[in-house]
Amino acid sequence: MNNFIKVVIFSLALIGVFTAFSIWYVPPIIPEPPPTASTVAVVPDMEDFIRLGEEVYNGKGACRLCHHLAGGRAPLLDDIAATATVRLNDARYNGSAIDTEGYLRESLTEPSAYVVAGYGVAGTGDTRSPMPPVTSPEIGLTAMEAEAVIAYLQRLAGVEVTARMGEAAR
Amino acid sequence: MVIALSTASPLAGVLSRRTAAFFALALVCLMLFIASSTAFAGDSGSGVAFSGNQSIDAGAQNENPPAPVLTEADYPRFGGVNPRVMVWGAAQMHLWFAAFVLAVPIFVLCLEAIGMYTGDKRYDVVAYEFLRVSLTAYSITAITGGLLLLSLLVFYPAVVRYLSSIFGPTFLIYGLIFFLESGALYVYYYGWHRMGSGGLKWAHLGVGLMLNAIGTSLMFIANAWVTFMMTPAGVDIRGAFDGNIWHAVHNHLWNPMNLHRFIANIAYGGSIVGAYAAYRFLSSRTDAERAHYDWMGYTANLIAIGALLPLPFAGYWLTAEIYSYSQQMGITLMGGVFAWIFIIQAVLIGALFLAANYYLWCGMGRCDGGARYTKYIKYIAFVIAVSFLVWFTPHTLILKPWEASALGGQYHPYLAPLGLMPAKNTAVNIMLLFTFLSFLLYRRAGRTATTRWAPYGKAVQAALFTAAIANIVYLGVWYGYFTNTVYKVASSVPQVATTVAAISLCMAIESFMFRGAASAGRFVWGRMPERSQYSLFLIAVSFTWLMGLMGYVVIFIFWLNHIGSGKIFSHKTLVDDE
Repeated sequence: MNNFIKVVIFSLALIGVFTAFSIWYVPPIIPEPPPTASTVAVVPDMEDFIRLGEEVYNGKGACRLCHHLAGGRAPLLDDIAATATVRLNDARYNGSAIDTEGYLRESLTEPSAYVVAGYGVAGTGDTRSPMPPVTSPEIGLTAMEAEAVIAYLQRLAGVEVTARMGEAAR
Repeated sequence: MVIALSTASPLAGVLSRRTAAFFALALVCLMLFIASSTAFAGDSGSGVAFSGNQSIDAGAQNENPPAPVLTEADYPRFGGVNPRVMVWGAAQMHLWFAAFVLAVPIFVLCLEAIGMYTGDKRYDVVAYEFLRVSLTAYSITAITGGLLLLSLLVFYPAVVRYLSSIFGPTFLIYGLIFFLESGALYVYYYGWHRMGSGGLKWAHLGVGLMLNAIGTSLMFIANAWVTFMMTPAGVDIRGAFDGNIWHAVHNHLWNPMNLHRFIANIAYGGSIVGAYAAYRFLSSRTDAERAHYDWMGYTANLIAIGALLPLPFAGYWLTAEIYSYSQQMGITLMGGVFAWIFIIQAVLIGALFLAANYYLWCGMGRCDGGARYTKYIKYIAFVIAVSFLVWFTPHTLILKPWEASALGGQYHPYLAPLGLMPAKNTAVNIMLLFTFLSFLLYRRAGRTATTRWAPYGKAVQAALFTAAIANIVYLGVWYGYFTNTVYKVASSVPQVATTVAAISLCMAIESFMFRGAASAGRFVWGRMPERSQYSLFLIAVSFTWLMGLMGYVVIFIFWLNHIGSGKIFSHKTLVDDE
């Protein structure tokens, strides 16, 4: 067979193999546009508010992207509301919160107030957090959404939910 | 592309020169037009509809207009054509040819210098042939460059206006440098024989050096535009330009991208020339022709694989910088939407390594003494195949609910650890070491060491190899799975250092050990099975796919940066401003 034809067939077959692998082995992923706002306009009760917090935590807030067991990029938050008092008493804490709820709120808007050892920006000695404030443009949570996340984290840790639902909703 | 190159006729050469001149002129005119329109646009932001409605309360702000907040409506669709895919297609076509024409003069210069140093005319002949191949591609580069510019103007008009408002002066410089490069290339090519001896040869080498310096500068300028779109700098939190163009050029990814592209271009250029040589080898009618194109293919493949070896490390640096700029961008890149693209990438790189090794193993047949080492091939193949499997094991599986339930979660209980980067870093380092081992055996195929200390030298090499692998595995396992993220990422550096040290030391020992070595049999260029040449095609096709995939990621991240409300990956800017 003519070399030219053989080379063409070989190249096309190879491209076909790569294409087939890409089409049939790799699952199709259709990215959704980033969420722009929470879908809950009116919050009737605390349970809905907590559900909103969970939705924001796993969706728009992209919290689970880093606060996840896999990868170890950021500490897990399962019991953050319960362990907050320990951190408030830590010598490295340099924020101004005085209780668990305040600590959570501060952690969302000023993540560098307390950085868990080993999770700071490299070279800063765990004094600067790589996490952007949740109300900054790159995450863009509203005050209500941030409060809902606090409520969700409190529920997750099994402590009393004290997040400011009414104030945020207003 | 291989076909187009191999069938280039003298007529095609004439046409391509005219076409190149025309399109080069058109490209420069368009660049000048954009640059001048930017210069006269004043502070109005070139007519971009800036909404400026973001509620941002951080960072110092300046008086320049902010970056446009774009929606899908700002990316025109014509007849249902996806603008992002169109721009990607045009950019990719341009990049393929541009990478090739930037890379070939680099190793042509090296080959010419080696030819001058050794006095071996073969280097000069093959260097000229390499350059001849690239000249045809140069005209296509100009055409695809014009196509890319047109695509950007049509499909990404607001983005082009915004970029022009910042990078306008660099467009002008780019156009001028493009002219200079064309001039230098034509002098270098057409002066090859006229400046072929004496002092003129040195002058010719100087022109080659100038050509490479200009070409590399051209790429660095374009890289600034590309990297700015992913990691903007020199702008405040609103995307308003601070007035210092160097800040925008010298953005977070600029240097890693420069290095990565420089090396990758060489690897890609080598692979394409290798495919060209393979085709000519298959078409050869005489032994002399076969010998020439076998040598050319071997040299081109050596260049491609030589550049491929440090490429993953440059890639690590680039990726580490992406994570350093924005963890979100890094995670989206490696663990989110694009995770599976990197699985395809792993398959392609695995195919590259297997093909490169196969070519080296076939190459042992050029010498009668090669048979001594064929028994080791199966072990090398096994290790490379296992490393390859580790490399393309995914971590996060996209599963249906019943699949996740059956698996007990999103991650496979046993294979999931192999999906993490430490396992992949370990696998790629081992693949590199065993590819080097194939090369070492190939080198030994035609020679037998005669130095008295050769047995000890080989023992030291074996010890170095074993220690290097043990260290790479230890670093990967201990720091990858039993410490926190900071050490996990950092451990890739000593792994790379181990590989580089082992290769360097083994090569140094090898060169001293085989000084004055005895011949192990007749070495015949051209004594290669035809099937070996297909591995060169495989390498070229895989490289082309690799570039296409990574180009798609770049375009997609750029798109996410803008269509995704222009804020997804910009937190580093915020941090810096603070």
